[in-house]
Amino acid sequence: MANLELKAMAIDVPGRAQGDTLSFCMEAGQIWGVLGPNGAGKTTFLQTLAGLRAPRAGHIHLNQRPLHTYKRRAIAQQLGLVFQERHDDFPATVMETALMGRHPFLSPWQMESADDIELTLEALVALDIDHLADRLVSTLSGGERQRVSIATLMTQNPAIWLADEPTNHLDLHHQVATLELMAQQAAQGKTLVMCLHDLNLAARWCTHILLLYPNGQACWGDVASMLQPSALETLFNQRLQTAWIDGKPFFIPAR
Amino acid sequence: MINQWILAAFACLLGTSSLLADEIAQTRCVVDDKRRQICLDRPAQRIATLSPGATELMFAAGGGDQVVAVVAYSDYPLEAQQRESLGSHTRLDIEKLFALQPDLVIAWVTGNPAEQMERLEALGLNVFYLEPRRFADVSSTLLRLAHLAGSDDVGQQVAQAFEEGINSLQQRYQNASPVRVFYQVWNDPIMSVNHEHLIHQVIELCGGENVFADLPRMIPRLDTESILSANPEAILAGGMGEENQAWLDHWQQYPHLKATADQNLYFIPPSLIQRPTPRLLQGAERFCQALDEARAKRQ
Amino acid sequence: MPNVSKLPVGSSIHTQYLIPLLSLALLSALALLFSVTQGSSGLPLREVINVLIGQGDPLQRTLILDLRLPRTLSAFATGGLLAVAGALMQILLRNPLADPYILGLSGGAAVGALGAMLLGLGALLVSGSAFLGALLATLLVFGLAHGSGSWTPSRLLLTGVVVASGWGAIITLMLALSPPQRLPGMLYWLMGDLSYAQTPWPALILLICICAVLTPFGRSLNVLARGPLQAAALGVAVKPLEAAIFFLASLLTAIAVTTAGSIGFIGLIVPHMLRLVLGNDQRLILPASALAGGTLLTIADTFARTLIAPEQLPVGVLTALLGVPMFLYLLHRTR
Repeated sequence: MANLELKAMAIDVPGRAQGDTLSFCMEAGQIWGVLGPNGAGKTTFLQTLAGLRAPRAGHIHLNQRPLHTYKRRAIAQQLGLVFQERHDDFPATVMETALMGRHPFLSPWQMESADDIELTLEALVALDIDHLADRLVSTLSGGERQRVSIATLMTQNPAIWLADEPTNHLDLHHQVATLELMAQQAAQGKTLVMCLHDLNLAARWCTHILLLYPNGQACWGDVASMLQPSALETLFNQRLQTAWIDGKPFFIPAR
Repeated sequence: MINQWILAAFACLLGTSSLLADEIAQTRCVVDDKRRQICLDRPAQRIATLSPGATELMFAAGGGDQVVAVVAYSDYPLEAQQRESLGSHTRLDIEKLFALQPDLVIAWVTGNPAEQMERLEALGLNVFYLEPRRFADVSSTLLRLAHLAGSDDVGQQVAQAFEEGINSLQQRYQNASPVRVFYQVWNDPIMSVNHEHLIHQVIELCGGENVFADLPRMIPRLDTESILSANPEAILAGGMGEENQAWLDHWQQYPHLKATADQNLYFIPPSLIQRPTPRLLQGAERFCQALDEARAKRQ
Repeated sequence: MPNVSKLPVGSSIHTQYLIPLLSLALLSALALLFSVTQGSSGLPLREVINVLIGQGDPLQRTLILDLRLPRTLSAFATGGLLAVAGALMQILLRNPLADPYILGLSGGAAVGALGAMLLGLGALLVSGSAFLGALLATLLVFGLAHGSGSWTPSRLLLTGVVVASGWGAIITLMLALSPPQRLPGMLYWLMGDLSYAQTPWPALILLICICAVLTPFGRSLNVLARGPLQAAALGVAVKPLEAAIFFLASLLTAIAVTTAGSIGFIGLIVPHMLRLVLGNDQRLILPASALAGGTLLTIADTFARTLIAPEQLPVGVLTALLGVPMFLYLLHRTR
């Protein structure tokens, strides 16, 4: 169980004036969706939450303690991140890559134990890539690589999951399966924060929404209050039509 | 000059007088061109010479029979070619050299690699360094090598003949009218010599005037233009091998060059002039003849 | 279930790491023995072994123990250092085609060494001057790349490559201005030559220490190879680690260049070749690079001093002649 609290924090998007400051707490069990058009600062926001970039103002507290007072290793034991970009310059198998998720928990002299292997295998099975375990990552399709990245995060098994476009490259079935997996994790007490492009996936799986506008404005709240067609139309500069299925809104771009 | 070396050797003999009498008779010391003193308990029996010039000097000094190893291009005298080869003088086969167990190694200060020579000295070999820069150095080297090899008589004869030959050339040409000379060491790039080089002294000996004497580097690299503007009266060149005159043909394409106009293009076999050995006398004689011919064409 | 036989689990950790390392260690031992038994003076194998077990006459002892053995060990240590430095530079720059010289370090060392040779200084001063040159080159590149505060592999690479061309120009100038009788020694130095090796011990001890120091960092390096952000997200302190790699790789290269001149090719090819066969686990690749790089240079140097003896070849020629076919064969086989 862990929480991440923003205290008057401003995202540092290079070349943009400081926008709204963010002040809210992301609690265990919540699934936050971060929505916004290209260049609104979604990726920067996630990396700031992970402590990989400094905020322009304000603070982030991880479990009531300022994030910047933690060592990287201590952060990595609490918080993990799925990146959009991946570097596959060097050869590595799916198994080796996913096993790296155990890195924050092993001392320098320690080798991966049978338990670590076990955890990794479970993650591969959960992401439906166990049959690829011995393949080189560089030989996989985009969707398969995306699932390797998520499996690495699952192997890391932190209390806070940050995911930058986790459904990128995934086919419809695996999009659903992946978000279902995220929901299970939240149900087990994890805190999830995802950048998403698909409003309908956000509507379906998220409990909370953060809207990031290109000019630096931001608003946040629970999913029901945030996913208002008018707000979303302004956000994406695109007219939308709304349909209701199972009591949840669905947004379709209007021509 | 010669006396100075003999004095040094004599002083050394005196310095070891506390040794037993028969050892004193055998112990021989000389000072080499690095100003280090080399002493042998008896005449050198196994000699390695690490440059073609050193080989030639040692054979001329009468120590040829004791030479066991030479380097590549030790082509004079012919007998030297039958000795064991140690590879190029720029990179020696140290292991082979050491396995031959020489009791005297004749090295070339600027020609042999310093790090390899340090290794040889560390292994305890007796190294005599030579670096002849003047005519007098050739004769003094002959005397010192002969002393180490126990052939002082031969050494004194050869050294004396060389000195006399040089002296007679000097007397003959000291009042000769000057000839402006370009000596070509190499073709591509064109190289010559400045006043520090032994060849410059040959030029002066023969009453020539080295047009590049004042350049700062001992072996300056030049372009064709600088030779054309220096406009020497005679060009003397070596070449690849002993009979190759191709370098001189290059100057035929400049008919306004004084040396070309007068056909004062002379070939001097490189081994006769580029090695500081007794054969330098022959090279100097041919050099002086060439300049004489050039003077004769002036009318 | 996937095939887990190749995975590092339980006792198979030992087979995964120990079998390749033991094989390479055996290969290294054979290469060292081969090198010590070969030489232009042609001692028979039995005599060599006699000397190695403490017998033999003084001449044989000097030949083997003072001439061949230090040079053989120097070759091994230099090859190992270069291969490890190459592996580290490749991780640092996230570029499998980087080599230890890519940041211009050998250029600085060469300017130092050739400058000392130009002045006619002895071997010890040439080595010392090469080391200072390497150090200067390292600080120059690091300082320039660090200048504005942003420190990315591409900026480092660009700075290094440009500074290296500057060194190249100075080297060419020195060669053009040097007296002809000093040229052969300079060219040999530039092509790499073990006759400069004074004593093998600094290089050898450094090689062993570095392997011991780096092994616990192997997993961090594996993570770093996945990119700096991913590495930071997995708990690696990226900046200090990168700075440490940069200085370690520079130190290793400087010692190698100081021992034997700039020997090309090993730092690029050996780690690359091992990755083709063994994968990219640095805990395996770093010690394996040390052993394989050492073996390759030992064999190459043995040929360099015996192949056309008494003439001596620059060892760089032999490393390429041996390494290129080996590399192409492995590349072809793994495709």
